[in-house]
Amino acid sequence: MKFDVIIIGGGLSGLTASIALAEAGKEVALVSAGQNSLHFGSGSFDLLGFDEQGKAVSEPIAAIAQLSEKHPYKKVQDVEKLAQQAKQLLEKAKIATFGDTTSNHWRITPVGALMPTWLSVEGMVTVQEPNQMPWRKVALINIQNYLDLPTKFLAAGLRERGVEVDVKAFTLPELQALRQSPTEMRSTNIAKVIEQHNLIASVADEVNRLTSNDYDMVLLPAVLGIKSNAQADQLLQLIKTPANYVATLPPSVSGVRIATLLRKRFTELGGTFFTGDQVVEGVWEGETLKGVKTAKLDGTVLEANHFILATGSFMSRGLAADYTHVYEPALGVDVDDLGLDRTNWAKIEVTDPQPYMEMGVKTDANLHCERAGKTIANLYAVGSILSGHNTIKRLDAAGVDMLTALQVVHNIVK
Amino acid sequence: MNTQRKNYDVVVIGGGITGAGTARDCAMRGLKVLLVERYDFSTGATGRNHGLLHSGARYAVTDPDSATECIQENMILRKIARHCVEETEGLFITLPEDDLNYQATFVQKCTEAGIRAEIIDPKLAKIMEPAVNPEIIGAVKIPDASVDPFRLTMANVLDAQLHGAEVLVYHEVVELIIEQTRVVGVKLRNNHNGETFNVYASITINAAGIWGTLIAQMAGVKINMFPAKGSLLIFGHRVNNMVINRCRKPANADILVPDDAVCVIGTTSDRVPIEECDYMRVTPEEVEVLLTEGMKLAPSLGTTRILRAYAGVRPLVASDDDPTGRSISRGIVTLDHEKRDGLAGFATITGGKMMTYRLMAEQVTDLACQKLGVTKTCQTATTPLPGSEKKPELKKYSFAQKASEGRHGTLDANVKHGDVSNDALVCECEGVSVGEVRYAVTKLHVHNLINLRRRTRVGMGTCQGELCACRTAGVMGEEDGAQRAINDLAGFMNERWKGMQPVAWGDNLAEAQLTATIYQGLLGVDKLAKERRLEYYEI
Repeated sequence: MKFDVIIIGGGLSGLTASIALAEAGKEVALVSAGQNSLHFGSGSFDLLGFDEQGKAVSEPIAAIAQLSEKHPYKKVQDVEKLAQQAKQLLEKAKIATFGDTTSNHWRITPVGALMPTWLSVEGMVTVQEPNQMPWRKVALINIQNYLDLPTKFLAAGLRERGVEVDVKAFTLPELQALRQSPTEMRSTNIAKVIEQHNLIASVADEVNRLTSNDYDMVLLPAVLGIKSNAQADQLLQLIKTPANYVATLPPSVSGVRIATLLRKRFTELGGTFFTGDQVVEGVWEGETLKGVKTAKLDGTVLEANHFILATGSFMSRGLAADYTHVYEPALGVDVDDLGLDRTNWAKIEVTDPQPYMEMGVKTDANLHCERAGKTIANLYAVGSILSGHNTIKRLDAAGVDMLTALQVVHNIVK
Repeated sequence: MNTQRKNYDVVVIGGGITGAGTARDCAMRGLKVLLVERYDFSTGATGRNHGLLHSGARYAVTDPDSATECIQENMILRKIARHCVEETEGLFITLPEDDLNYQATFVQKCTEAGIRAEIIDPKLAKIMEPAVNPEIIGAVKIPDASVDPFRLTMANVLDAQLHGAEVLVYHEVVELIIEQTRVVGVKLRNNHNGETFNVYASITINAAGIWGTLIAQMAGVKINMFPAKGSLLIFGHRVNNMVINRCRKPANADILVPDDAVCVIGTTSDRVPIEECDYMRVTPEEVEVLLTEGMKLAPSLGTTRILRAYAGVRPLVASDDDPTGRSISRGIVTLDHEKRDGLAGFATITGGKMMTYRLMAEQVTDLACQKLGVTKTCQTATTPLPGSEKKPELKKYSFAQKASEGRHGTLDANVKHGDVSNDALVCECEGVSVGEVRYAVTKLHVHNLINLRRRTRVGMGTCQGELCACRTAGVMGEEDGAQRAINDLAGFMNERWKGMQPVAWGDNLAEAQLTATIYQGLLGVDKLAKERRLEYYEI
């Protein structure tokens, strides 16, 4: 089997690259293991939340210009333009978002912290200014015994910012079944039950029963709509008070939906999907990658002119570490381990900037990978597998995923 | 300062297993008891060992007195603390590099100490324990078992309370009150709010483990302790079902114990300065030794995820210049400071092992009773601890309810089961329900998530608190203020990380990154946490 481009990794970066290449008319194959970090998402896309001094960023483009040279954004030629493209790419996949690169808005986390972000999925609760909450009185409505929205913390976070908050909860007979089994009260299961039993109207009735004109905002856990936004949108319309969703602990239903819609878009564009599979080795000819072998295709070589490595960092198994080395397990490309031996990979305080977080594969200015010190002209890396940034300290994961992916697409297509 | 004068027969210093056992014994003999602990129960060596219910075989050759004490206590604890003990049995294996002649001496010494030691065919040993190194050339079966020290301590505390003892956690002794040549009480500081006050007692019992030397110093009494640090590694699942020991003189990393859903390899043994005992860190060298030697017991440890590393300090009493402390007796040391130092009203109980805590408690309680003219005899060897009064019945339970009954024995009756609110699970790895959290918070002296972990195992499973910590904090937050609960959550995540950091490679690194991504990137707990009091061992 031969393709123009093979993308290894089906998370946000891999899907972005796959879709953009398919849109550009390329024959694309995507090899994806399954779960990805979107499942731990917030329903927002962060571009750059905090600068290298740890200060919250309000104007991301200006702040990106100030980042150190090793940051992957330095390999993106026109951040603003590619950010526009990223938003459009999402839109075409029926993921409607709001926000732009001129100024960050703030997402509200499940425990009530405010984090600067770039794009948020329609329906998610956000605020423009952290010190200026747009509501006087909020009803925070949870599903009974759903522990993955810690309402206590969320309410306290809002109250601290001067908002009056009432916490309430409802349940429905159909949700009782889930509640009988203590492991089942998880976001994706709730979403499935509401979807299968078509409970939107009943949920709306419950929410309306618990609220009154007195509230200027109703907040609900984001546990609706695995396949599309339709039900989530419908519910907001049926609720008499303005209402929004707030992110929950993982799994993130909005993240799962984003992944689903991107995969759907890719398939509709004619892309080939090898799902539940992973690349186990490369077939090399000198310094050129000719093809890849996967765990399931039993020796079949998938060939392509170009390859994109988008397998993520340690948590996504794009990077691995044994007792002595950090390595890239799929193709064995060179890794930047910051020159540290194992005892210095991790620092003792959990909130310290952890060196391992900045490790990743080595790339040149055009995001080409290296192998045994030599540049591989037809192999690129994108997303969290790139070295040189600490995603949780900068809050830049989605931006790095999408923008480096689009940059590589540009590098390939030109 | 609160000057209210409170009088007790006995103040017991130290909420480890020895202090808890002593408080129980004293209370059962009708004494008016106060147990004080500066942090949480079992934060010292009690919570930082193998969780091995020694048969005594390990000491049979080198320390026969200790071995005899061990086997006697082993048999007692199986009866009085059955909900804390898992009767795994154990093997002493001989590897090709070991001297097989040692086995005969070993078995003879075991028999002399009263330990049932049975030489078995290595082939049989491999069938009984498939995880054992297949290269073994000899095997001896002995009555080792596994014990949960957190649970055992708590059961002793609960029984002390049932017999009228009062208990203060997070209360630190900052001064011994001395009148002429008698200790008449202690000055306590509440470590939560800094307030100090005095309590008075006829006898003050120092059961503070290695820190007992510092307590004695407050009275100008010198106890020559030998702080012997022991490091251990916890693996992500239970590789072995029997305790595996090396059949040789005690050395590094030669015991592998199955504990609950995990297994633990240890230990190392190195003298450390007393001032380091509060800041134990496992070094890369120790990790190396534990792994290398551990793989000789069970080769599959080499491919098993290491969950975390931790270290404790044995309160050995110095007797010679042995640099490791390996040859120091694990025997019990009861010091009557009236006789020894001319200081009345003060006794120290030290040395010994977790295994022999009950006997240690008995000996020092005998001393206290003798001083106080109390003649009632010790009942602790025959009276079951709360939770172990009867054998558990086999019922059709949920996973969480089985887990809870496993943890609390008959005390599980206090946990509300069967309604949807209480049955909701906070921790899927360990099967901890909302009901169990509520029980622990109201009845088991729980002040924070780390305390709760010691009572329920929440956050001790393979995910090390990935989601359960936040859920649990939310449930605990029902009673606490939200800010305090968030601070507590941040502290818990830091404490979990401290144990992962020395072994941060492989799957552990992936897991750590995921947890950090959730707690810092998604939730922003670090942004919300404000100044907080550091929990012990989180420092």
